Amino acid sequence: MGPGAARHRGEILGAMPTARPRAGLTCAALASLLLVAGCERPVGCTGEYCGTMVIASGGEPDILLPPVSEFSITRDVTDQLFLKLADLGASGNTIGDEDFQPQLAQRWEWDTPTTLVFHLDPRARWQDGQAVTAADVAFTYDAYTDALVNSSFRSSLRQIAAVTTRDSLTVVFRFRQRYPEMFYDAVYHLRILPAHLLREVPRDQWRSAAFGRAPVGDGPYRFVAWKAGETIELAADSTFFLGRPHLRRVIWRFTPDQQGAVTQLITGDADAVEVLVTPDNVQRARADTALATYPYKGSAYGYVGFNLAAPGDSTKPHPLFGDRDLRRALVMATDRERVLRNVFGDLAKVPPGPLSQVWWIWDPEIRELPYDSGQAARLLTRTGWTDSDGDGIRDKDGRPLAFRLLLPTTSAVRRQYARLLQEQFRIAGVDVQLDEVDFSLYNERARAGRFDALLNVWNTDPTPSSGFPQTWTPAGFGRSNYGRYDNPEVNRLVDQAVASAANRDQARRAWRAAVETLNRDAPGIFLFATSNVAGVHKRIADVTIRPDSWLALLRTWRIPADRLTDRDRVER
Amino acid sequence: MGGAAVLALGVVAALRRRVRTTAPGRRFFRHPTAGPGVFVLTFFVTIAIAAPVVAPYPPYYQIDIEHPNHPPSAQFLLGTDPLSRDVWSRVVYGARVSLGIGAVAMLVAATVGTAVGAVAGYFRRWVDTTLMRLVDVGLAMPRIFVLLMAVALWEHIALWVLVLLIGLTGWFGTSRLVRAEVLSLREREFVAAARALGAGAGRVIFRHVLPNAAAPIIVSAALGIGHMMLLEAGLSFLGMGVPSPTPSWGNMIADGWHKMAVAWWSATFPGLAISLVVMALNAVGDALRDALDPRREAV
Amino acid sequence: MAAWLVRRLVASIAIVFAVVTITFFVVHLAHGKPCGSDDRPLPPEICQALCRRFGCDKPLLVQYGKYLAALARGDLGESIGLHRPVADALADAIPNTFTLALAALLIDFALGLALGIYQAVRAGRFGDVAVGNVALLVNSMPVFWLGLVLLLVFAQWLRWFPAGGITNPILCPRLDSPYCVLDFLWHLTLPALTLGLVGAASTARYQRAAMLEVVRQDYVRTARAKGLREPRVLLVHALRNALLPIITLFGLAFPFLFTGAVLIETVFAWPGMGRLAVNAIFQRDYPVVTGAALLTSAMVVLGNLIADALYAVADPRIRVRGGEGGP
Repeated sequence: MGPGAARHRGEILGAMPTARPRAGLTCAALASLLLVAGCERPVGCTGEYCGTMVIASGGEPDILLPPVSEFSITRDVTDQLFLKLADLGASGNTIGDEDFQPQLAQRWEWDTPTTLVFHLDPRARWQDGQAVTAADVAFTYDAYTDALVNSSFRSSLRQIAAVTTRDSLTVVFRFRQRYPEMFYDAVYHLRILPAHLLREVPRDQWRSAAFGRAPVGDGPYRFVAWKAGETIELAADSTFFLGRPHLRRVIWRFTPDQQGAVTQLITGDADAVEVLVTPDNVQRARADTALATYPYKGSAYGYVGFNLAAPGDSTKPHPLFGDRDLRRALVMATDRERVLRNVFGDLAKVPPGPLSQVWWIWDPEIRELPYDSGQAARLLTRTGWTDSDGDGIRDKDGRPLAFRLLLPTTSAVRRQYARLLQEQFRIAGVDVQLDEVDFSLYNERARAGRFDALLNVWNTDPTPSSGFPQTWTPAGFGRSNYGRYDNPEVNRLVDQAVASAANRDQARRAWRAAVETLNRDAPGIFLFATSNVAGVHKRIADVTIRPDSWLALLRTWRIPADRLTDRDRVER
Repeated sequence: MGGAAVLALGVVAALRRRVRTTAPGRRFFRHPTAGPGVFVLTFFVTIAIAAPVVAPYPPYYQIDIEHPNHPPSAQFLLGTDPLSRDVWSRVVYGARVSLGIGAVAMLVAATVGTAVGAVAGYFRRWVDTTLMRLVDVGLAMPRIFVLLMAVALWEHIALWVLVLLIGLTGWFGTSRLVRAEVLSLREREFVAAARALGAGAGRVIFRHVLPNAAAPIIVSAALGIGHMMLLEAGLSFLGMGVPSPTPSWGNMIADGWHKMAVAWWSATFPGLAISLVVMALNAVGDALRDALDPRREAV
Repeated sequence: MAAWLVRRLVASIAIVFAVVTITFFVVHLAHGKPCGSDDRPLPPEICQALCRRFGCDKPLLVQYGKYLAALARGDLGESIGLHRPVADALADAIPNTFTLALAALLIDFALGLALGIYQAVRAGRFGDVAVGNVALLVNSMPVFWLGLVLLLVFAQWLRWFPAGGITNPILCPRLDSPYCVLDFLWHLTLPALTLGLVGAASTARYQRAAMLEVVRQDYVRTARAKGLREPRVLLVHALRNALLPIITLFGLAFPFLFTGAVLIETVFAWPGMGRLAVNAIFQRDYPVVTGAALLTSAMVVLGNLIADALYAVADPRIRVRGGEGGP
């Protein structure tokens, strides 16, 4: 076997040379291909108005029609397409009209204390060439307040009695009463829509209108393409009357979740991400020499919302969460501080109620239920929930204390929270099962009230006057008030607070009383209020982020000519 | 703890060598991977059974949520995961779930497959044709697709139903195997003799045909458990498998892969465990094939 | 041969038909509303359009008939989540899965064949045992876990390959330049490698066994006795006959590739049919689910048909026998 084996091995090795020339040919072909490919680099745009910015986002808009979408990602995109009459200034002050910047309206004046007159800028044009007129504004107001459209912003506009036109460039807003944030209400929510393109669309079909998938606006950017599930592309309008945007193209890339978006940023496939979310992401971004981090006050708060009505039948109370004591016990059983530190480190704070850090009413002194597992246990036992069968889960009348927590799969933060809370509740004797569903499904179920409890996050408006009632009063039934919480005392205090916002102290007292009353009812467990850190590629300069809408000033961002990359120069 | 388990299995594995006195036993151990395979399997089965003794922490216990992601150390053998749970304890308890699901699902699949294959092979003609067409249809749809649809359509599916479904989508291969065996066996003299003595079809199948067809069934079962475990892991990875907080090796990977960059241990070790067990099952299956079927030449 | 082929074709069509029927009835009985489901109700005017096409209030059998009629026209319905016809969405996704599967098969067979031959040549020695054990380990790994490990090592740590996706959507919205083709291949590498490696391990085992069995045959000894050099003996005479099991594996590869593709496409965000189907299932997008079920079963059945036909061509014994290939 010995000599034969040696010959065997040698024969195999000897067979190699015949194969080599062919391999050599392939190598040469590949090399020349690479050479050709390397030479063929697109040489396109040069100068100050180039640049392609790719924004990675873990969520996708449902429809690009402002009145009918509540997603913050939709707002990010439509803010570039549609103008408001005036926009918030850098200070974020929502009282009065001094701190607002003209947009569609060139100037405004008060004819009477409750009559506001806007003079539109004659240079404003829709992207199909038509001029923007006062009729568009009146039409927009009509659509936003139409019950058939069922916009979630409708309740924020309830103090406006009527919007009429005086001529083609003059609009008159008439209010029901005088209150401090009336100008804010008139301008902040309405994104002016083209009447001539939307008038023919039946109001009850706005949620599926074709316009919403190919919108025509008057803003600094115009719509190019939307590949469902993949990208949305916008191109700069070089004739934009308030100044040509420096970034020629803006592209949103959608990832299955926010962590995927951060990964895209770090590998260089994307240029900007709204929130880096976790401390280790922030660390990685800071360590990366190509990235810059921008901290800004977060406008988001997250909470576990209890469904006070029976799932699927809003006339009956929820078998578990209709009981106020049970809800209070669950809040007291949760160690919110420690859970927050696990998920966010120091990038968020435990809110003293349904508040975001951006709101001026943020006050750590607001009274809330404490973390007290002993008291929680006693409360549960007092209401009849005891562990009679020794399985670690409390029960009453043969029914275990169990419920399902609904959350979307797209948020790693909420998934982490859900698992941490699951354990907190299990220690208290409550069995929680997780319903992790697709984002679109989550929204459908939330709106329809088909859940026991849900883990929700709101991106709030800059002032509580519009967002708070939408979520925690009957004005939000069927819209943002998923749990159907309704306390007449809270409603009264909120109205009072909104009406008295000019007298800061009086307003503060009213808001504080409202939040404290709400906290006593425990309609939810208020878990976190974020302090955001955005990650943006270093080559992008003049990055200013407004906390209420991080891309509001996108048209001022630019890429200096000497920092353009291949992606920026592509002509398409 | 872990050390004691390892020791216990070394002993058990040595005991297995006694089997070498029989001819099939010798053929079995002629495979160099058979011995280690048996060792690995016994190790994991033992820690699964003795989980409360072996695992230092309960599987749900979040030790110190403010300081998660401990790397492997003396205190935490395989580190802690992002929820500050001991990975080693969860691997131990996860063995129960993953091995259990694999075994039970395989049991279901083997039972149904054997029944269908035996009936088809024995009765032939239209019974055979119909059943085999059914098998063809079953094989046409990829299993994971069918299972995902079932889980999505059925809200809040119970774990045992999921295991049943995994088994019910996996019997097609076994049925073909059993049918082939039964087809050849039914022509043998002992079957004719049994029938001549007046035995009914059921008795003939159970008492005479199947025991002789047992070998390929056992081999395919050993290999099949591995497939079932991989399928459960895949489903859990997609979020449709074993629900939180019950640990299964599959959902440990699903929970940990987002944090791979900072805590690679929480997703790597469960994957390694699956790989080792499936590898051991493959090795043992191969060795069994040679041990139980001496007609094939060992390579 | 021709008669056999026709019979198999008819049987294949029947199988696909059965799958479509089962899927249709299961989906409709579970969530009977043609207008989406309880979770995702369709907007009213789309619902009305669907009702006109498929008949909402008519009995289930009539709806089934209309669905089949629409299928014959090539109309697979409208996707709820993607706002476009199902056929379009599938048409976009299938080429991606196909290229992934093809690349994976290439890696699978090239590597598997090479390793199998190497093992057969070195039978019983260290090389054989080492490769065999590594192959066994790789074959036993969860395919998505291997993908995650490769992603971590090669995309995040080493940065040699991209971390997912199919191409750079800004520079290459279409594959219209050599640069874009290369970019596509660069993105294709890791997912195809993952699928290919796991398959190669299995192929190597089969190939080794087949080679060793064939090497024992008389005609190989004859070839050696004639004085032919060993490589020619192995590669020309033995290999041709040892390739037969590979053809069967080709047919078996289709279901595996789809299962693996579902998981790999999720890990690497590859926009293929697996990911489309999974997302549709999660979003309760039932038109897409039924369309995907139809197509995957058609692909699987086709794969088996091709494999059986190839087997019949390659092995004259089957042709002579003329019956259906295999048990």
